[in-house]
Amino acid sequence: METLDNTEWDVVISGTGLPQSLLALALSRSGKKVLHIDHNDYYGGDEAAFSLTEAEGWARKHSNSTSEQSVFSKAAVRTLEVNDAVKSKLGTPRAYSFALAPQLIYTRSNLLQALVSSRTHSQLDFQAVGSWFAVVNDQNDPDAAPRLIRVPSGREDVFRDATLDLRAKRSLMRFIRFVGSYDEDGEREKWVQFREQPVHSCLRDQFSLPDAAIEALLALALPPYANIEPTMATVVPRVRQHLQSIGVFGAGFAAVLPKWGGLAEIAQVACRACAVGGGVYVLGKGITNATKSEVGVTLELSPGEKIKTQWLVGCSKDLPTSGSYTSDLKDNSGAIAKRVAVISSPLTSLFPPTSEGGPLPAGAVVVAKSATSPRATVQILAHSSESGECPTGQCVLYATSTGSDGLDVIDEAISSLLRSIGEEPVPDILWRMDYVQTSHDQSDNGLSVDGPIVTLPSLSIDAVYEDKLLNSTKEVWQMITGGSEGAFMKFEPREGIDEDEADDG
Amino acid sequence: MTDSAAPAAPKPSSSVKLVLLGEAAVGKSSLVLRFVNNEFQPNKEPTIGAAFLTQKCQLPNRTIKFEIWDTAGQERFASLAPMYYRNAQAALVVYDVTKASSITKAKHWVAELQRQASPGIVIAFVGNKVDLCDDDAPEGEAAEGGEAEGEEDATVRKVSFKEAKAYAEEENLLFFETSAKTGHNVSEVFTAIANAIPETSLKTSRGAATGAGTQAAISAGQDGSKVNLNARGGDKPQEGCAC
Repeated sequence: METLDNTEWDVVISGTGLPQSLLALALSRSGKKVLHIDHNDYYGGDEAAFSLTEAEGWARKHSNSTSEQSVFSKAAVRTLEVNDAVKSKLGTPRAYSFALAPQLIYTRSNLLQALVSSRTHSQLDFQAVGSWFAVVNDQNDPDAAPRLIRVPSGREDVFRDATLDLRAKRSLMRFIRFVGSYDEDGEREKWVQFREQPVHSCLRDQFSLPDAAIEALLALALPPYANIEPTMATVVPRVRQHLQSIGVFGAGFAAVLPKWGGLAEIAQVACRACAVGGGVYVLGKGITNATKSEVGVTLELSPGEKIKTQWLVGCSKDLPTSGSYTSDLKDNSGAIAKRVAVISSPLTSLFPPTSEGGPLPAGAVVVAKSATSPRATVQILAHSSESGECPTGQCVLYATSTGSDGLDVIDEAISSLLRSIGEEPVPDILWRMDYVQTSHDQSDNGLSVDGPIVTLPSLSIDAVYEDKLLNSTKEVWQMITGGSEGAFMKFEPREGIDEDEADDG
Repeated sequence: MTDSAAPAAPKPSSSVKLVLLGEAAVGKSSLVLRFVNNEFQPNKEPTIGAAFLTQKCQLPNRTIKFEIWDTAGQERFASLAPMYYRNAQAALVVYDVTKASSITKAKHWVAELQRQASPGIVIAFVGNKVDLCDDDAPEGEAAEGGEAEGEEDATVRKVSFKEAKAYAEEENLLFFETSAKTGHNVSEVFTAIANAIPETSLKTSRGAATGAGTQAAISAGQDGSKVNLNARGGDKPQEGCAC
């Protein structure tokens, strides 16, 4: 391989996760000389997607506790003790593409707008996340099979819902009106009063909502730390995001997922765009040392190469430790237990059509509460084989929970979900991977600038892609290019690319 | 519009992602430029950066739109290819018939594709620069100067047709010898790839739940689960998505 020694760059981006890749995309037409490296020998960083074999290799590397270099720990793969007939259902390793970042993207997200205005969306396939469900255990009869209930997810659903009585519907509609206007003049006083209140008591006392309706709203909101009682300030904006996203790209769904492995696919498409624009890509290369100088930064790369750059950008763990921020990140860290599970059934009932003639959903959301510790909630993103992540006849579940017993609670939740489907025999888990991901709680937007060295915030690790990530991309892009805010990610068609209008419908 | 009222019904059209692989200076970009623009630049500079081009290929019963990803200029870091062949439906692995080492590198690419790329990927194995060989140059003239490299002794064939073809057959690859300079066999390669892409990989396999009737299938385009990001507002009827 040719050496990078003594080369000079305008921008060196370290790490190929989504935050860095979006910056690479933003810089792809800037005329800047970009070197994009990753210490891993694969693309995607913390947002990578893996085949079955790659996932097993990854799990072996992250089986121990958290290190400076990684937010992942305690990774383990288990193939369940099942008879050979079941085992043989597991497809070839490359038939799977497991997403470390299966986050759903709301249709009004700024990310989708940026992908369209930068003309990268045509390289991607998006699919609908259709229905939201709750798995409900019978409080009075622990032996009864858990029930799967579709969560009403918009005004029409609320009207049609048979489980809510008229009074509950009226209260819910009143709350939905509040959600639409809480930041407007008429409601501001109320909002100031409510915003720090715990959700359950506030919704019960101030909005007269019954428990069932509160649980439904919490399922829609998917609050990040599921075992902590969220405040109205967390839940209300998220419910609003959900309600306002319904119908943007077609009737009956509010969110989408990228086909072939979640956000990994967006990161790769962004990197490809930067490569086409002249960006140089080198995998298996990390930064061992960075020295600031008058005109930029001198970097030492892993096999002893020295390069110069005006800007160095990466997420904190992709940059050489500078000591200043790593310490306070540790204090605010929260750990989320995650499981990826391959199910021996397509679980068709999780993916009903969203509307007549609309796209067939490839994603669903299931929220399950533990029967034994009712505080513990498990959020499950279900991806059908349409997502390209598993062979037909199967589906992939991405389950997350918080707390020290997270994995036990996930175990219980997935088992409840599989029993609630009503299939006989109850579907099996063919393969699963567990791990713990540590999140850096970013109270500010997480962007830190130390002269020419810029630390990007990491992607939030809960179930929903958050728009603030792209806002920090924009800030860094403006810093580097001096471009105006309005020009961010707005690209003309490339020369020589036949952009057929008919192709985009 | 009903079926009977469509005299010039457009042929079904599908995109095929194709990645170009091979050693530096074997003529990858030249092959694509010949295919896309039907032009040839005799002393083409090595490609800087990476190129992305599209070109349509008309088959009797359908149109294939190739999205061509050229790793040109970055072979030396060996890092772009994995990003390019991810989810690619076709690969063009190119060597230079006048350079023995280039077929070794091409075989490495084939092995890597077979190990890492999508299981159903269609691979075309292509020996370029046959115009430099006296024996079978289509115009019967030995090239002078020639392509990016090789001035004097490059007129000698170093990789035999028989050897390469035997390898390609063994590995189940499409095989062609081409000349980007004269255009010999260039469009044939792309047509052969277009024909070899299985119909099933053009239409994403659909679950059993799509018994919803043809109307739904038509309005959702060829892929029943695809969300059209240009359909913002959702107020206009979805048209057949022809990507």
